[in-house]
Amino acid sequence: MKSSSERYAALVRLVESRTVTRVAPPLLLPAGPFFDLAGEEFGRNLLLTTANNGVEYCLRPDFTLPIAQGYLDDGIVGVPAAYTYLGTIFRQQNGFPVEHEQAGLELLGQPDASAALDQVLTFARWALAIYDITAPNIRLGGVGLFEAFLEAAEVPPAWRARIRHRFGHPEALSRLMDRLSEPRERIGVQAPDGRETMIEIVTDAMLSGGLSLIGSRTPEEIADRYLEKQALESSPIPERTVKLLTDYLAVSDTAQRALDTIGNLCRAHGFDFEEPLFQVRNHAAALAALSPKADVIFDAAFSPRLDYYTGIVFEMTGRDGEVLASGGEYDRLLDRLGAAQPVTASGCALWTARLEKEATQ
Amino acid sequence: MSSGGLTLAVPSKGRLEELTRKAFSSSRLTIARPGGVRSYVGSIKNQPQVTVRFYPAAEIARELILGGIDIGVTGTDLIHEASENGEDNVLFVRGLGFGEANVVVAVPDAWIDVQQMVDLADVASDFRARHGRWLRVATKYVNLTRRHFAQYGIAEYRIVESAGATEAAPASGSADLIVDITSTGSTLAANSLRILEDGLIMKSEANLIVSRTADWTPLRKAQLEALLSIMGGVPPGISTLL
Repeated sequence: MKSSSERYAALVRLVESRTVTRVAPPLLLPAGPFFDLAGEEFGRNLLLTTANNGVEYCLRPDFTLPIAQGYLDDGIVGVPAAYTYLGTIFRQQNGFPVEHEQAGLELLGQPDASAALDQVLTFARWALAIYDITAPNIRLGGVGLFEAFLEAAEVPPAWRARIRHRFGHPEALSRLMDRLSEPRERIGVQAPDGRETMIEIVTDAMLSGGLSLIGSRTPEEIADRYLEKQALESSPIPERTVKLLTDYLAVSDTAQRALDTIGNLCRAHGFDFEEPLFQVRNHAAALAALSPKADVIFDAAFSPRLDYYTGIVFEMTGRDGEVLASGGEYDRLLDRLGAAQPVTASGCALWTARLEKEATQ
Repeated sequence: MSSGGLTLAVPSKGRLEELTRKAFSSSRLTIARPGGVRSYVGSIKNQPQVTVRFYPAAEIARELILGGIDIGVTGTDLIHEASENGEDNVLFVRGLGFGEANVVVAVPDAWIDVQQMVDLADVASDFRARHGRWLRVATKYVNLTRRHFAQYGIAEYRIVESAGATEAAPASGSADLIVDITSTGSTLAANSLRILEDGLIMKSEANLIVSRTADWTPLRKAQLEALLSIMGGVPPGISTLL
């Protein structure tokens, strides 16, 4: 049996292995970028402090953003980089400040995104193995797969955006599915003829309400969305497509079976979906090979509520259901931070105290 | 005061103070404020065990949650706003029938395409791509807004904290929509703002509230029961919930 300090030393060795660069972003970071990236929902968890000039700072709430930002600031976009970290993060939980230690890996700008993800999965598995966790529950989700699915199922683009946007938020998504399955009467006034008239009406309303026509939503934008909404509500998604969507989202099973089910659903609906599924199958197989004793579940509705995730996402949980490791592909992150060109990104974060707890239980 | 004594907090000014004192005096509990509006300590006639403190309503909410005072009168909205799970730390004894107001989500009337929260979710989702910034919500109800928006799956927005005249924020350009308190809706209408169909975040009124986090000794519980029984309208045994 290894002791606690031996396990920790092994984790440090993993984080400082020769193929990666261990980094330590500052503890005190400007809060603006976190709000910009993740909005209020994540922002409420930050531990904030304010400088005398009114600029808000936060205690480091995660490593991914500062590491990605550092990569951009170094001006090495496009150069493959592998960063690791081990350190404290600070958040607010249930109204109280808490600190956790996290370890993790970030692979940026890797030429082979698929190989990079496998590397991330391997890293997470090794870390778990240090703590003698050989049979974690692994949950996989497919953000990219769902996007491809919406397209292949020929969901109208305007609905697609609405559905995609709610992916990962079960309540909001199920409300939307309810709305889709029982199309309601149109709300609001009858559309007067044509877009130009609508724009005029909205312009008048804005001016009489003292609103500026620029700077916020424009009359054109409001009129267009109004007309789009009317068009959508008069041409709802066909019932069988709604059923397909609902069935897809309900799939949660061992990876092999889940992916077969999705393949069959699509075939029964008249289109072939094997190619997008292929990627996921490969990663699931890689995971199964890495940890033969683990339960690998594919949950079609699983997605983090952060819109920069793009491909496959995963989480590994322990005996009491606590997340030990989570991560995935987030190719939109660097783009959101202002990278001039697309940069692939994948990574994971590990909760060291929970790992240690698993080991000693 | 090691063994007994209760602290009752009353709003320190305005209509809220007036109506609170009226509510107490109609139950034969006359609140005295010997030093007038400048004084922050008072008493109740014939109830020497009760110390009355005059605080701003928001501070009463905070102190009730932290257990710094035992009983207080303040708005339900302020308890929910003071801390993320403020309502778990207090006991709402009863509404007092005044200070009614609703916390609501309101958008410019000209947003004819936005009737419900789902519409707002759609607007928020691509707002940044269109305008290069987040959708901005002006409010002084930061916690209530975050909670309500999260319920509807809206994450893509920023809160602009406003100290006063929230309803003017859309016209002044400092925010796109607001979350604010309204009693009749006339201020909103005057500013060409419209409440969303499902934009009611909470109905609020002045409440008699007991702190759960205060140090409740048996003696103090008994004193609380006695006071509440004089107030009336409260079933006995409230203190067993503390």
